[in-house]
Amino acid sequence: MGELNYIYAPESPLTEQFRCRVPMKGTRQLFLVNGGVQGTTAPLNISLGEGQVMEDILQVISVRTEGAPLEISYRNTLHFGKGSQARILLCSHTFTLDKFKTEEDVDITLEDDAVVDVVVMQNEHNEAVHNARFNIKVGAGASIKVSFLTLHGGSIENKIQVNIDGERGNVDLSGLYLVDGNQFVSNVVEMRHNVADCTSSQLFKGVLDNESSARFSGIIYVKQDAQRIDAYQANHNLLLSDKARIHTEPQLEIYADDVKCSHGATIGRLDENELFYLRSRGIPMKEAKILQQMAFAYSVLEKISNSELRERMENLVEKRLRGEFSNCKECSKNCC
Amino acid sequence: MLTIKDLHARVGEKEILKGINLNVKEGEIHAIMGPNGSGKSTLSSVLAGRDTFEVTSGEVVLDGKNLLELSPEERSWAGVFLGFQYPIEIPGVSNVNFMKSAVNEHRKQKGLEPLSSAQFLKLMREKMAIVGMDSSFSSRGVNVGFSGGEKKRNEIFQMAMLEPRLAILDETDSGLDVDALRIVATGVNNLKRPDNAFIVITHYQRLLDYIVPDVVHILYKGKIIKTAGKELALEVEQRGYDWLING
Repeated sequence: MGELNYIYAPESPLTEQFRCRVPMKGTRQLFLVNGGVQGTTAPLNISLGEGQVMEDILQVISVRTEGAPLEISYRNTLHFGKGSQARILLCSHTFTLDKFKTEEDVDITLEDDAVVDVVVMQNEHNEAVHNARFNIKVGAGASIKVSFLTLHGGSIENKIQVNIDGERGNVDLSGLYLVDGNQFVSNVVEMRHNVADCTSSQLFKGVLDNESSARFSGIIYVKQDAQRIDAYQANHNLLLSDKARIHTEPQLEIYADDVKCSHGATIGRLDENELFYLRSRGIPMKEAKILQQMAFAYSVLEKISNSELRERMENLVEKRLRGEFSNCKECSKNCC
Repeated sequence: MLTIKDLHARVGEKEILKGINLNVKEGEIHAIMGPNGSGKSTLSSVLAGRDTFEVTSGEVVLDGKNLLELSPEERSWAGVFLGFQYPIEIPGVSNVNFMKSAVNEHRKQKGLEPLSSAQFLKLMREKMAIVGMDSSFSSRGVNVGFSGGEKKRNEIFQMAMLEPRLAILDETDSGLDVDALRIVATGVNNLKRPDNAFIVITHYQRLLDYIVPDVVHILYKGKIIKTAGKELALEVEQRGYDWLING
């Protein structure tokens, strides 16, 4: 058994307030309050031993609360031993409108043949600044899937560095960012293929409204002699207003000669033909546009393998697109 | 029920409809035929409210409502349905969600409660059976990966779901083989009632073997140049359009 004991730590009155009234079936919840695991000031440190399989989804709910320091930084460590398996949901929320600034490092290491599924859900407020650095290391035959759902925040930057260090490693990154007002979201991905026979995929999609802006910068790096790599990268953006701005930089840097790498980026508007078709069936313009945006978001949301979690996320995304504060109806704090 | 008076419409500087007059009564099927470029598809788009066309004069009144003042969705609520010549593919929106939104919006306009999921699925199954659509289509993206025939069936299925007062079928027969044509025509014939009407736009007589019109109009250069009974379609089939245009 690894260091999972504190998942069973007693609830403090504070964390009790934030508990989802109806947590998802098969989910274990852990609170990270202002950067420290509930009832402690220790950062999150999860380690699965060799062959350990975590049946439940571990939901780590990171909250920023009133009266806490405005600027904090912390480092979470997630270590998955050889052949271990886990599913993790990392949520970050803010509960007051204080101008929080969060510096977060998340180190994720997969030993050989580990299989890990991570969903990162970022749902903060218009003044919140959150800089997250994900440092992911993947061993031989290991496979990781990470979905970044950036629903709300003043300025959220995800810097994602992936090192695939073992042969047959597989990485699937996806992201959906929804920005409006003056919000800003950045995803900077560095996918480093250091050895042969590995695969990676990146799909990041954004919906931008008002005067918001977003950035996507992704590089696929293939080291010399890292042959037979299959790597893919795409960034698609939907601009809903004339003033929204997207800066997208897909890049390849390849030093091996037997590889298959592709990348692409698009920036577009809602399709007029689709819109007319939907309206001609009696769907009002506003609803039709929501349907189109949900359809756009779908290819990222469908990557979430757990169906209940996917439905919840779809719900949050739809509410967000409708301009409602994103929250599950089951939650006591209307937070997650 | 539907009255079109001296309807003119253009795209940019180019006038395409040059004074259309048409009266459609309840229970009737009208066929509009004509050579390519005569304005058939423009007429159907203008009736459905496509804003790429500018109506410069004339009026279109359905059950006392001036359609030209209504948005596409309001026209749909008023009972207009356009069967598209080229149905649009919408990846990511499932047929079931699409139709559920549409049906419930129509109900909302009539002051009715939305259908429950069970009621809706039952209705959907019934209507899919009319056009011989497999239930697997319901979860697929709207028209995504559908063959030409499947897309047209999907149009008729949507029509069956929405039960329009006036259905305009724009070259529904194009790209259909005989079997698909028969299925589509059977769907239309099943949906025909004394209190609704159809305008069937077609290039060929073929469809009219299966859907028998009460009135046939020939549209040419933006005007209806001849109106007669169903025998006119047969005559066009045999003699082409030249005798009408030059006569």
